[in-house]
Amino acid sequence: MSMSFLVDTTLCTACRGCQVACKQWHDLPAEETTNRGSYQNPADLSFDTYKLVRMKEEVIDGQMRWLFFPDQCRHCLEPPCQDTAGDESAIFTDASSGAVIYTANTKGFDAAEITESCPYNIPRKGPDGTLAKCDMCLDRVQNGLQPACVKTCPTGAMNFGTREAMLSLGNRHLAEAKKKFPKAQLLDPGDVRVIFLTGFDPNYYHENAIASGGSFDVTRQVALRRMLRPLTGLISQLL
Amino acid sequence: MDVTRRDFIQISGATAAGLAVSGLGFDLKPVKAHAQMLKTKYATETTSICPYCAVGCGVIVHTSKKGDGRVINIEGDPDHVINRGSLCSKGASLAQLTENTQRVTEPMYRAPYAKEWKKVSWNWALTEIAKRTKDTRDASFTFKNAKGQVVNRTTEIASVGSAAMDNEECWIYQALMRALGLVYIEHQARI
Repeated sequence: MSMSFLVDTTLCTACRGCQVACKQWHDLPAEETTNRGSYQNPADLSFDTYKLVRMKEEVIDGQMRWLFFPDQCRHCLEPPCQDTAGDESAIFTDASSGAVIYTANTKGFDAAEITESCPYNIPRKGPDGTLAKCDMCLDRVQNGLQPACVKTCPTGAMNFGTREAMLSLGNRHLAEAKKKFPKAQLLDPGDVRVIFLTGFDPNYYHENAIASGGSFDVTRQVALRRMLRPLTGLISQLL
Repeated sequence: MDVTRRDFIQISGATAAGLAVSGLGFDLKPVKAHAQMLKTKYATETTSICPYCAVGCGVIVHTSKKGDGRVINIEGDPDHVINRGSLCSKGASLAQLTENTQRVTEPMYRAPYAKEWKKVSWNWALTEIAKRTKDTRDASFTFKNAKGQVVNRTTEIASVGSAAMDNEECWIYQALMRALGLVYIEHQARI
């Protein structure tokens, strides 16, 4: 079944329940951080932090706005990281949910190349070279539970369900949000499984909120792998 | 070739769509089926209440059925009328109350001007607290105010806490503090 998230940032209060629930479920350690003058903590995603509520203070149309963005892997429908790795023992898409999963075999790959290929700048390298990021709580999802971040959300900002349900819920939330925020929009709904809804221009929230941030070189290898992916999948089935 | 990341996603989407309609007649999804086991599958489930604030969210505590019965996971109780499964960041971190190597498990004492905390016995700590409370109270107790009205109070001791106490604990705590003559009885959530 194809699953998706809807993250309505207009409902987010930045309580960071999702961030902590994620750490808790995955048994990830805390990080030592310093006061940077922001409630956002830690400063960035890391090997031990898959989910992070980003906070920005922006003056939009003469009014101070405190913007919250619970960042995480978008689980792309066509994940560039998977094509860059080109090895399904390291990065693969789970057929039952659509989750993009990194395994311990990511250790052998050029971490910078894979991180660079991500349009949302998500994967992070560990001390031994392994890459880590959100795994959609695949163990929970495969056992009929919601991901930890969605389960814990007290405001209804985080939602999870079948792709069709989330797309229609997204449109309903968008219509509602537009009453208060005329520039509200869904971010890349056709390309990703984690669909964000923002009340303002997404660039205010985070530089990688949408996939348009910067350009990068697609190597011939990657382009070729991408085009041949369905065929290589077929071949591996036959072998 | 130089394309934007957004273009890249769109290009690849088009490629996949092209191949899909070419009608190969096979399921092209990866063959891997990594069914994962839930870490709470064999755990005992116990309901409890989050101790932090006055909202009183319901939680489910998963403890190990084997060995020492340690906590595996704590998450919101979907059947609880207050929170319906949700928890804030403090509630979501509840497992750390027990499963935490940095947890202080013995009374600690830092002497005036000392830089280090040292472990002390419960007996020593409780006796010392009782002794100092009585000394301060006796030295500062006011029977009458400037107008000659009976007040029977001390303004030299204050109490701060606690959101983690239930109704009955609050009653006992109030009774104790009032009996000592305290007037500064506060709740830490208001500071």
